[in-house]
Amino acid sequence: METDIYRIQTDYFEGPLDLLLHLIRKNKMDIMEVKIADITSEYLEYLKEKKGINPSREGDFLMTASTLIYIKSRSLLPKPDSMDETPEEKLMQTLIEYDKIQKISHLLRNLEGAELMLWRREEVLEDMIEKEFNIEDVSSFQLAEVFFSMVRKKEQEEFLLIESKEYSIERKRNEILGAINAEGYLNFSEYIEGLDSLQEILVSFFTLLEMIKQGMVIGIQKKLFDTINVWRNDAHRIHQ
Amino acid sequence: MTDKKEPLFHTLEEKIACVESILFVSKDPIEPERIMDFLGCRNIKEFEEIIGEMEKNYRSGDRGICLKRAGGGLQLTTKPDNNALLKKFFTVKVSSKLSIPSLETLAIVAYRQPVTIAEISHLRSVNSVGPVKNLLQKKIIKISGRKKVPGYPCLYSTTREFLLYFGLNDLTELPSLEELTEMFEDKEQPSLFK
Repeated sequence: METDIYRIQTDYFEGPLDLLLHLIRKNKMDIMEVKIADITSEYLEYLKEKKGINPSREGDFLMTASTLIYIKSRSLLPKPDSMDETPEEKLMQTLIEYDKIQKISHLLRNLEGAELMLWRREEVLEDMIEKEFNIEDVSSFQLAEVFFSMVRKKEQEEFLLIESKEYSIERKRNEILGAINAEGYLNFSEYIEGLDSLQEILVSFFTLLEMIKQGMVIGIQKKLFDTINVWRNDAHRIHQ
Repeated sequence: MTDKKEPLFHTLEEKIACVESILFVSKDPIEPERIMDFLGCRNIKEFEEIIGEMEKNYRSGDRGICLKRAGGGLQLTTKPDNNALLKKFFTVKVSSKLSIPSLETLAIVAYRQPVTIAEISHLRSVNSVGPVKNLLQKKIIKISGRKKVPGYPCLYSTTREFLLYFGLNDLTELPSLEELTEMFEDKEQPSLFK
């Protein structure tokens, strides 16, 4: 049996392509001339025993299994005239690409190893150093101090409760009418600035639009983004 | 920045000492241009002479550091031979390496950048969100934009950290796919991987 150079670091196959390449190499096949149908049963055998399969990647292994079975079943049937790219060709291309990815990974691993031999400034980080817990280092006083400072911190924490107010169009309408009655007219921008929340501003604006629509008030805006001045519509009052 | 009338340095030794001090203090690699500008080097040849002298000096047996060119900059590092000694002195655990999924993902990003997670997952036939996240956290790759396809997925590219981590000066130092194939003594066509 051939030893696999890529299996040094792990017992698991990282993915379906990893396993397929392993089977191809194991059977001493050329990647360009592999008969996918031939290695399908071997692949399925691995899947059945879950031997060397990374459990977190099981779904990915099953996906490829279905492709393999599809390819095998196609090979048993008379071939249709022509297809742009057969599933077999597609899988082969993916495999060839993956073979290169493994080679690059191998190369990067070597570079990484060489680089890890070199130390730079601030390389000796605290978490790299093996440290044993030294119990004597901490006195009961220090422990108590830590505990009480934690309690104090907790006590200082304030909780902000965000309340949501209910605004109704009816109540807003009365409020706006009241404001108009007091001043004779209403500068809507100034009115909005005195409000608490965006929600209230929105309700006020809808109310204003509704009042204008119903003809209760007249709103005049001199130019875009300017304030809206609102008056009572006297014609409406007479009508009432 | 430098006063042209009165040169800061007179001799080669002074310049070498200055470069060494700068590199000794600096945590990150320093661009050669910046040093050249500071030293008032007229051309690259003059600068290379300084660097060459330093490298020659560090090569001798009684020195524990060496000059490293990485990520387009210069940096002082320890000698590779002293790795075991340093590990022993600082009682350092096994240095952490990238996992195989991360390495595979990085291989794809390095050679195909900018690339989306979907493309990486397709090439590996394995969901690759995890390794991408891991590499992002390590700042070895970055989001470099969005692909103009439905969903506007993020595109990923390698960073300067990538170059530093693997001791590369720039991306062109990575072997081409033709060279890679030769390295592993394979007969197949390297053309598919752009």
